[in-house]
Amino acid sequence: MPRTSTTAGVRKKGAKRRVLYVSLPDQPDRICSGCETCQLMCSLEKAGAFNPKKSRIKVLPLAVGITIPITCQQCEDPACQKACPEKAIVPHPKLNLLVVDEKKCTGCLACVGACPYGIMGYDPEKKIALKCDLCEGNPVCVQSCPSKVLELAGPQRSAEINRRRFAAILANEDTAARNNLAGAEQIKTLPRTLTLLAAQGAKAITEGGR
Amino acid sequence: MARKKGSYAGKILRVDLSSGKIEKQDLDFDFAHKYIGGRGFGSRVLYNEVPPEVAPLDPENRLIFTPGALFGTAVPAASRTTATAKSPVTEMFGDGHSSGHWGSLLKSAGYDQLIIQGAAEKPVYLSIDNDRVEIRDAKHLWGKSNMETNESLLETHGSREIGTLSIGPAGEKKVRLACIFSDGIMGTFARTGIGAVMGSKNLKAVATRGTGDVGIVDIEAFKKAYQDYLQVIAVDPYVPPATKYGTCRFMYHRVKFGIHGANNWRLGDFDWKPLDPEVFRSDYQIKASACPMCPVRCRREYRISTGKYAGTVTKLEWETIARCMTCGVNDPEAVIYFSHLCNQYGLDVEGMGDTIAFAMECFEKGLISEKETEGLRLVFGNSDALMEITRRIAYREGLGDLLAEGSLRAARAIGQGAEKYAMQVKGSEMSAADPRGMPVRAVSYATSTRGSDHLRSNPYVEELITPEEALQHFGSKEAADIFQGLKGKGRLLAWSENFVTIGDLLGLCKFAYYRSATFGYLRRKGVELATRFYNACNGTRLSEEEMLQAGERAFNMEKAFNVREGAGREKDIIPERFFKEALAGGGPSNGAVVDREKFDLILDEYYGSRGWNEKTGLPKKETLETLGLHDIAEDLGKRKRLG
Repeated sequence: MPRTSTTAGVRKKGAKRRVLYVSLPDQPDRICSGCETCQLMCSLEKAGAFNPKKSRIKVLPLAVGITIPITCQQCEDPACQKACPEKAIVPHPKLNLLVVDEKKCTGCLACVGACPYGIMGYDPEKKIALKCDLCEGNPVCVQSCPSKVLELAGPQRSAEINRRRFAAILANEDTAARNNLAGAEQIKTLPRTLTLLAAQGAKAITEGGR
Repeated sequence: MARKKGSYAGKILRVDLSSGKIEKQDLDFDFAHKYIGGRGFGSRVLYNEVPPEVAPLDPENRLIFTPGALFGTAVPAASRTTATAKSPVTEMFGDGHSSGHWGSLLKSAGYDQLIIQGAAEKPVYLSIDNDRVEIRDAKHLWGKSNMETNESLLETHGSREIGTLSIGPAGEKKVRLACIFSDGIMGTFARTGIGAVMGSKNLKAVATRGTGDVGIVDIEAFKKAYQDYLQVIAVDPYVPPATKYGTCRFMYHRVKFGIHGANNWRLGDFDWKPLDPEVFRSDYQIKASACPMCPVRCRREYRISTGKYAGTVTKLEWETIARCMTCGVNDPEAVIYFSHLCNQYGLDVEGMGDTIAFAMECFEKGLISEKETEGLRLVFGNSDALMEITRRIAYREGLGDLLAEGSLRAARAIGQGAEKYAMQVKGSEMSAADPRGMPVRAVSYATSTRGSDHLRSNPYVEELITPEEALQHFGSKEAADIFQGLKGKGRLLAWSENFVTIGDLLGLCKFAYYRSATFGYLRRKGVELATRFYNACNGTRLSEEEMLQAGERAFNMEKAFNVREGAGREKDIIPERFFKEALAGGGPSNGAVVDREKFDLILDEYYGSRGWNEKTGLPKKETLETLGLHDIAEDLGKRKRLG
């Protein structure tokens, strides 16, 4: 399981970075179980009902036994914002990230198509785009994850995790970490990016995952 | 268009495959709050619509899918759907329960229940896309495995956001051991031959897409109950081994009591070491997975990387390991591969394991010859023979055609006293562990409404209850004594049947709610929190007593169904072997039998506490009426089937 480290620092230079980690490199036992609790808790928080369509975080089943939670990467150079013809993707008043202005959004889907991670959501009833806003700094997905795979980290915790990850890569034989990764026996080094894990998933399929 | 109906979607979908007619009815909320959902809805509709004249594989049998009332919400481990039909195995009440995504998508599409009747002329599949419901040609899917069917449907519908139900080749061939799978191999409606019913309707699959909300009335109450649930499982000692090993952990329980039932339910002890949960965890497990919304995480997928089964990736549960032991097999890779084959062909591992073990014993006793097996050495422990006979059963080839009828029917065809080797109750093969030495377990297998079953009740309560709790709840301290106790056992059994039925009404997993290390946690999760979740989601004010009564109501409907089919006390019986042959092979329970006298005494008390006639086992009029089942009482009265 990878972490997707994403910075929430978007507009203001020098402002505090917040990183939503998906799977923590220093907590190799914590692996997404695919229970999707985060999805429904998100939709309950944001829409007052249970509906994976209205969730800002999605759990993707890649192959038998392999699931990955994906959410907004809070890009430094956001494609969603650039694509929006209505200028409806605007800085959050307090947090250092972008949010969808529901009044301006016309539901044209431009941002949904533009997001390189495919994580811009779309509410089929309200007909507006959906984007993770980190729940004012206390994300419900992080609170509700039974496997504790998610963590919202400030700068110091980020540094700790990065250090640890770097050391693990230097050592290059963190067997405990590797054994807990999906398809561990195939991996020579820790997968560091989402792309790498996706390749693992594809491999599991070709190896008889169906 | 957001629905404000709590966790119900508000409509019932009915599809007649003979005429092609598709009907949508509004859900009657009085009906909903009385029968709750899942198994309760299924049992009610089956009783109403399938009289004794209808044979299980007739087009007029119903195939009813009902997601649990809380499925689709974020209630922990609310992920179960019930499939109900008259069973081709028992020719009585039948159902299967499965996790997976399909049920929540049916709710999101706007339906609380899917009733299928009639039979299509050619292979078809049903496509449900919110309001749009179509019967489509399934020629291209026929013959495909469950995983292939799922993949193909995902591709056709251009979306990973659909849920599917499917049968494999075994269901197509109406093998009586066939099941229905949810979302590839994510979940299995395993028992009672329900896959054969789907096959008899020429229905290969159901693909469902839903985008609507599943509602909730009281979010604060929900959150409170959610936190309370998490608190319980954080301290319940039952949970950590489940999270660590998945259901493989039950090995330690069977070893503790020496109740493996290996080699067709003859050996209490067995060389189980190669199948240690730790082996599965360290050598084959991909990771700890979970069913939707479950914080317990006892699902497991396994992969074999080397050797003759290299490349196998599949889901496996404890019962597969147990039933391989019934066939004398203790090679973990063979167990995983057997699970893989059953998943692909769409077969029930429990029925399969017992049926093959039955054939092995017949082979041992010379009732099946090597000519009939076409050279296959069908001996205990021969894993190659296990795989080959599984394939033959799935495709009904040679001896497989006979065994595809299940152990009891095969035994009757073989004759020569083979019936005593068929380990079944009401025609449905045994599951879980050997009951010898533990009389209430034996009775629980006998009283289950769908044939032998360990999930229809929770007699394990006797392992964790204190004598004081036993006295308080079941009227006697004896109920806490596993081996010698007698008094209070019948009441314990009846209570536990009502208790676990609540899970099937709400769609809650048995392992997350109805198993625990103490009686206190068990009641807290299974009754108190389950009721609070239901009330929070639906704005109702059901008491815990009323929830237990809803479980009792569902159980009585199923009993009444069986009674209407002609079953009485004589059908509530376990295989003779358990009474007459002592458990062998060493181990803590070596030499144990089920004491017939104790069995009957517990059964008497059980019928008494259920309000059924002790001699005949038939429900009394006033019992049914107390449960609000006046019409059923009237129907049984007309047929002279009341106790």
